[in-house]
Amino acid sequence: MSQRPSYAVGTGLFIVLGFAALGYLATQTTSVANTSRGPSYTVEAHFANIGQLKERAPVKVAGVRIGQVKSIVLDPGKETADVKLAIDQRYSQIPEDSVATIFTSGLLGDQYVGIQYGSSKKLVTEGGTLVLTRPAQQLEEMLGKFFGAGGAADNLSGSYVVKARFTNIGALSVGAPVKMAGVAIGSVQSVSADPVKLDAEVTLAIDKKYDQIPDDSAAAVFTSGLIGTQYVAIQPGGSPDMLKNGDEMVLTQSALQIEDLIGKFLVSGSPSDKKDADNGKAAGDKSGDKH
Amino acid sequence: MSVSMSPNNIVLRSLSQIGECGLFLLRILAAVPRSLRHIRETVRQLWFVGAMSLIIIMVCGLFVGMVLGLQLYDVLSIFGGTSATGTVVAIAIYRELGPVVTALLFAGRAGTSVTAEIGLMRATDQIAAMEMMAVDPIAYVAVPRFLAGVIAMPLLCCVFCALGIFGGHLVGVNWLGIDNGTFWSNMTATVDLMKDVVNGVLWKSVVFGAVVSLIAVFQGYTTPPTSEGVAYATTRTVVASSIAILALDFVLTAFLM
Repeated sequence: MSQRPSYAVGTGLFIVLGFAALGYLATQTTSVANTSRGPSYTVEAHFANIGQLKERAPVKVAGVRIGQVKSIVLDPGKETADVKLAIDQRYSQIPEDSVATIFTSGLLGDQYVGIQYGSSKKLVTEGGTLVLTRPAQQLEEMLGKFFGAGGAADNLSGSYVVKARFTNIGALSVGAPVKMAGVAIGSVQSVSADPVKLDAEVTLAIDKKYDQIPDDSAAAVFTSGLIGTQYVAIQPGGSPDMLKNGDEMVLTQSALQIEDLIGKFLVSGSPSDKKDADNGKAAGDKSGDKH
Repeated sequence: MSVSMSPNNIVLRSLSQIGECGLFLLRILAAVPRSLRHIRETVRQLWFVGAMSLIIIMVCGLFVGMVLGLQLYDVLSIFGGTSATGTVVAIAIYRELGPVVTALLFAGRAGTSVTAEIGLMRATDQIAAMEMMAVDPIAYVAVPRFLAGVIAMPLLCCVFCALGIFGGHLVGVNWLGIDNGTFWSNMTATVDLMKDVVNGVLWKSVVFGAVVSLIAVFQGYTTPPTSEGVAYATTRTVVASSIAILALDFVLTAFLM
């Protein structure tokens, strides 16, 4: 190896560059980068609900990762989760009154702990606790609020109760909204199967404000959107008498089962069914053309 | 060798090519210990097929990453999921685009010149001369180029992937304004060392490197000793390598998943 060929240095450089790139890919862009490195200090936070938060999930400030979740245990004797956060030593400037929140990255992403700085001069230290926390937002709760079920259920004191019988309620559950003209006017109070008539008896709690509903109104179980939750829709009738507490709605329309619909669509039994199927097909074609 | 045999029957001809190629691989592998004394030659070939391909690999990697970032941002913004851009860029590049595009470029950049070089050696009777001088041409000509390809491909692929990520970051974060922390943390949260980097980048590129080098060396070694024959052999290297890369990519993906 006395005389060194001119290409040898270039080849060496190439190999080093290749391995450097490999090292970069392996350590900086994969989950290996998430394992904690360097000194860190541990901070506790107690959450009422951690949702899908997992150990080693990132802890972020302003979207920047500053540490990770070290451990998650249930507080003994309490209904809160004790989450220990390992935060990098170089981010030691976190005010004591900062708020720890469990966020979800995007709609379907993983959950992480986000810290929003407070204004206190005191900083949290090793073994300290972030007292101000906000639990994970459960999608169901948010949807419930969105569809008005939560709000209506809270007003139960000022409501009256009406019964309705359905041959099939689909996936209707207690707490589902009752809507008229698309506006939530109450909620489903109870759902039970009648052991004699073999149908479903649904109790609707309707807000007292809406006491002008004709007693021949129809109740139907609808689905919001294709995959949305089910709700009871009330279609007003024309009777001069109004629904009162304890009344029963006679005209009901059961939930449409998607299996039934598809069955009708595929197996056109009667001429009327066939017509429906054709209509459905035409509609499908039309919507297909739009894309 | 191969071209003289039933030239009209394409099936028989391809079958015999594949068979000869397989036997040639065995000859190369058997000659690897003997070629250790020509380690210098291997280093020189590594310079030639690896280091000299760096520029094209880096430029292409950068642009592939940039276009991926641009397209994914555009599509993901429909769903409000632009924060997943980094993840998808990394996974797409590691698992598929990195190894496959690098191998295709490698076949075009290095495979062709290996074929042409060995083909001209054969056409100008240099290989026959080596045999006369009791220098094993397989150990001295074929093996170093083959080994250089096997070593160079994974390294080139890593460089390609790194530049691809950089390109995606450039477009996604610097130009389109995805948050830097989100870009990286989503990527590091999803990309797995074994599944994506080792199985995707490394294994695939080692196999592709071996296949492309084998085809290139084989086509050069068995070319008819005419200028036309060398031209055909070079073309066949690119065609056969491309088909082999894409077909093997599917098989490897199915196995490594």
